[in-house]
This record gives sequence, structure tokens and C-alpha cells, in this order.
Amino acid sequence: MEILERFFLKRYIKYPKRNLFRFSFIAMVLGIILSVGILSAGLHLFQGYESTLKKLLLESFAHVGISSSDGSLMSNEETENACKTLTEHNEVLSCVPVLQFALMAQNKDKVRAASLKCYKTEETAPYHPYIVSGRPKIASGEVIVGHYLLAELGLALGDTINLNYPRLDNITPLGIPSTQYDYIIAGVFRSGYYENDRNLVISTVEDARTLMMIPEGFSRIEILLKDADEAPVLARSFIEELGYEYMAMPWNIYAESLLRLVTIEKWLIFIVFSFLVLIAGINVISTVSTTIIDRQSEIAVLKTLGAASHTIRRLFAIRVGLVAIISVLIGQIFGILLSWLVEKQTFYRLKGDVYFIDTLGANITIPNILIVFLVASLLIFICIMIPLKQIERLQVIEIIRKKYA
Amino acid sequence: MILKASHLSKTYIDSDQRIEVLKDASLEVNAGELICITGKSGCGKSTMLHIMGLLDTPDSGDLIICDKSIQSNSPQASSIRNQELGFVFQFHYLIDDLSATENVALPLLISGINESSAKLRAKELLVLLGLEQRLNRYPNQLSGGEQQRVSLARALANKPKLVLADEPTGNLDPLHSNEVWEMIRKLNHDLNQAFVIVTHDIEASRKATNSYELTDGRLIQLKA
Repeated sequence: MEILERFFLKRYIKYPKRNLFRFSFIAMVLGIILSVGILSAGLHLFQGYESTLKKLLLESFAHVGISSSDGSLMSNEETENACKTLTEHNEVLSCVPVLQFALMAQNKDKVRAASLKCYKTEETAPYHPYIVSGRPKIASGEVIVGHYLLAELGLALGDTINLNYPRLDNITPLGIPSTQYDYIIAGVFRSGYYENDRNLVISTVEDARTLMMIPEGFSRIEILLKDADEAPVLARSFIEELGYEYMAMPWNIYAESLLRLVTIEKWLIFIVFSFLVLIAGINVISTVSTTIIDRQSEIAVLKTLGAASHTIRRLFAIRVGLVAIISVLIGQIFGILLSWLVEKQTFYRLKGDVYFIDTLGANITIPNILIVFLVASLLIFICIMIPLKQIERLQVIEIIRKKYA
Repeated sequence: MILKASHLSKTYIDSDQRIEVLKDASLEVNAGELICITGKSGCGKSTMLHIMGLLDTPDSGDLIICDKSIQSNSPQASSIRNQELGFVFQFHYLIDDLSATENVALPLLISGINESSAKLRAKELLVLLGLEQRLNRYPNQLSGGEQQRVSLARALANKPKLVLADEPTGNLDPLHSNEVWEMIRKLNHDLNQAFVIVTHDIEASRKATNSYELTDGRLIQLKA
């Protein structure tokens, strides 16, 4: 940077009111603040959506699920032996056999498809933190029901729910026989993951077996890992250890494509919102062009005094660039505020059946702040530099003559 | 010899009309000279000065500044304008956002002199021109005469060999006009500073060491 540029930069920073806060900059500044704010809020909210969804998926599903290769139930002995082997791994946080099957939940004439799930050891069951009313521990004859399922069936805590298990493995000439029992709703959970909150009914293992009419056994073993990202590798090693009569399903098999889709969507939204910054950039082009016309005399005098065109161009770039950078930073603060407001608002909730979760949360990360800053600054810098080419073409003599005329 | 303009010609095309403002105009400027060029409005005085200041290009003719043949589009033109020439215009052309001292320091900063030395030299010049009370004032806080004196100080900042002034008092009332003329004569006398001044003030031009009149595109020497 030349001495002249340093001198002006120092002046702009020392006396911002005199040099930077110009009326002609207002439209440009507002445009940048709004566009960067929206871009920034969009990214923070989508990041929030992505991380909330990932967190809920990882909390709602086992990191690795182990079941029989032929789809049959695993015996009590099998699950005990497998869990004993698996818990020897340092990477394994918990290992619990579960029984899960599809059934119908009913309240008078209201019927909904649901999924009954029970855990051998309740202490490690993942629904515990999400109990919103009632209690997490249940006795025989009691169930815990998802918040949305409860609402759809028009039930409340303490009411009775009828669970109907159609025995598809035993179809008779008279139709599909079913077993059904009434249970008392002892707890309600709300995990935020819509599919679970809309489908899941938790019961004791004994009640589930009675309903299924089976003496013993579990559908699969659910394993939680210390690091969920290790699931694909560990799943392979577990099967090598347990034998190929079992199969392992790491969480990413059923959830990764969804998360990848959300990530793609996040960056698509980012690109679309970046066009807003580009539109604000048109304002920047217009402001810089106006400033050049307004400051023709200044340009003429600097050229007369021997300043090179590129130096004058840089002086203007520094001046407008400083205003633009300040605007981008204010825009980012505005974006954070906007995402905070969206997070706190109560009048709009996401449709859980479409978006999997029903609450909108923002996740503000340093890399995203830097990405917004860099992309917005780059777009605006290009928009500043385009009209500055005019300075090269300005003829001192024409400006002086115009002033005399 | 500081500057030698030989056989300069310049023609403008205005609509269908061809206006020949300079025809074979020649001028030589030596150290310590105070040259005035007079003439009617629109006769080409300013054009002559702009060509000599490397702000405009003649259609034909040669220009030698400090023994170097040069044109306004030469790569060295901006450095010669910065180092060897000083400019004063009818309008002061001071930068509104800079104080008097900072405006005067501009040519020094452009030439690469550090800010503190540039400001020191600017203050010395402003004191020399009687503006010691106006060092930190902005152009809009100065009178017309003061603005033009700041502009004169700026023209002298890099100790140029020649100051080119285009109607320096054209915008001033008689009192301030006289003040500026006195200052120019003082600088010419005390510092041996060479000036070429374009003016329509025939009375003032009589005090110059050399004076010329531009008539029909030709420079006619009135006083040697």
C-alpha cells in the first residue's frame, strides 16, 4: 500500500463520520445489511436444522443395530452373549436388546398405525430425557406414548390405549387374527423427531411378548457408540466377531442420505440467498458510479498532482470497501438476531411430517460466519471494482473545462 | 531553461465548426520568470497552459520540460506533473474532506514522502503564505482568498521548477485578488519561483517580467 493510500485509510478510520457516513451510501448500506442478514440467517437456520436433525437421529436410532440375518427373533441367550462380547469394546457406550414390531393403536373409532418398542434394560433407553409428562419407568399394563400419537388419538396421560397386534404370520380362512389389550398411559415423550413422536409406543418386554404371543426373544440389539461417525467401520468388525448369522446396520445406512440431502439443501439455499447480495451489489455499482461523478473534481485534482489512476482507484475502493465491510459485519449481526428471533417465535412451527422435526433452531458456527463474510465481501468487492474502471477513462481536462463552463 | 513550447497547434471541432485555438505558439520559460499570458475569453489561453502542464496534447509542436521532450500521454507525465510542475486553477480544487495542511501535503504524499514530513512541509508553506491560523481548517471554513492561497501552497509543496496558474484570481473579489497577486509576486521575488499565469487582468499582467497576448491562436510578446 502506497503512502497516499495509507494516509487516506488512516483518515477514514479516524474520522468515519466525515468520510464514510455519507447520505449517498445509505441505499448501498441498507441493501448490504439486509441481504447479508438474510443470507446469514438462512445459513444459521439451515445449519440448525441439519445439526438438530442429526442429533435427533443419532439419539432416536441406535448407532449400530444387530439382528439375525434371516430376520428371526434373537433368543435371550444369544442377545446376552452378543452384548457381553460387544461391551468389551471401548468404543461401545451401551448395548441393549430391544423388541419392536408394528401394530395398531386405537381409541374408540380412532385408529393409527404405530410401532411398539421395548427395551430389556430401561436405564439405557434413549426416550428417558424426552419424557414431558408422567414417568419414565413403567410397570406391566402401562405404556409411554409419543406426543403426536397421543394427540391424534385424542388421549391424555392416565387414559387407556388399546393396542392391536395383527398376527400376519397366522392368516386363517376367517381372516387375520389379532391380539389386543388395553394399557394405561403412564408417560408421554416428545423427542422432537416427528416419526418417533407420531409412531412410538413403549411398553415392558413382558407386555410386548404377551401381545405378540411369544415366549422369549428380541428383534435386535441396539448399540450406542462413543463416536457415532465410527459406526460403519465398527459395524463390520462386530459382525466379523459375532459371525455372519447376524447382520449389522450402522445408522448412516438409513439416515445418511437424508442428512446429505439436508446439507445439499442448505448450500442450495445459501447460493440462492447469495443472489440477494448480488442484487445489493447492483446498488453498490450505482453508488460507486454516483460517487465517481460527484467526486470528479477530486479525481481531477489528484491526477493533476501526479497520482496514478490505479492509486485513485484504490483510494475509492478503500473508502467504499470500508463502508461495505462494516455493512457486511452489521448484516451478520442482523442475521444472528434474525435467526434468534425465528428460533424464539412461537407462531410458526415446522410441519413435522414434512421436515422430520417441528422446531426451528439456529446453529451459529464460526466457519459459517466466515463463509458468509468471505462470499459477501467477494461479491461486493467485484461490484466495487467494476465501476472504478471509469476513473481510468476520466479526462482531467474535460472535468476542468466543465467546471469553468 | 525550465520549459520550452515550440510551434504548438491545437484545433477543436465543435459541431461542424473547426476552431483553431493555437497556431504555431511558442514560449520559453526560465528560472525566476513571472510570465503572464493574456487574451480574450475563449482565445485558447487555458488550452496553452494545459498543454504546458501535460494535461492536454497539442495537435503538433514540441514540448520540452527540464530538457526532456514530453507529451501528456507519456508514462513520465504524472511524475513530472508531481515533481516539476505546480498547478493553480480558477477554482481552488481543494479536497473538501481534507484540512488545509492535508490538502497541501497531498503532492508530497503522492511523491512518497512520509506523512509527518509532508505535513511539516505543508505547515511551513501555509505559514509562509500567512495561513498559520488556518492550518486545520477545512476548505469550506476558509474565505475565497484563503482557499486560493492554500491552493498556491499546494502548488509549491514539491518545490516545483514552474507553477502554472490558470486565472488564479478569476473567482475572487478585488481585495482577495490583490492579496493573491501580491503573494505570487512575493514568491517569485523571494524564492525565485517561476510562474506562468494565464489571466485576463491586463493591469496585473503589467507587473510580470514577461507578458504575452494570445490573439487568433498566436502568442505575441508584449513585454520582455
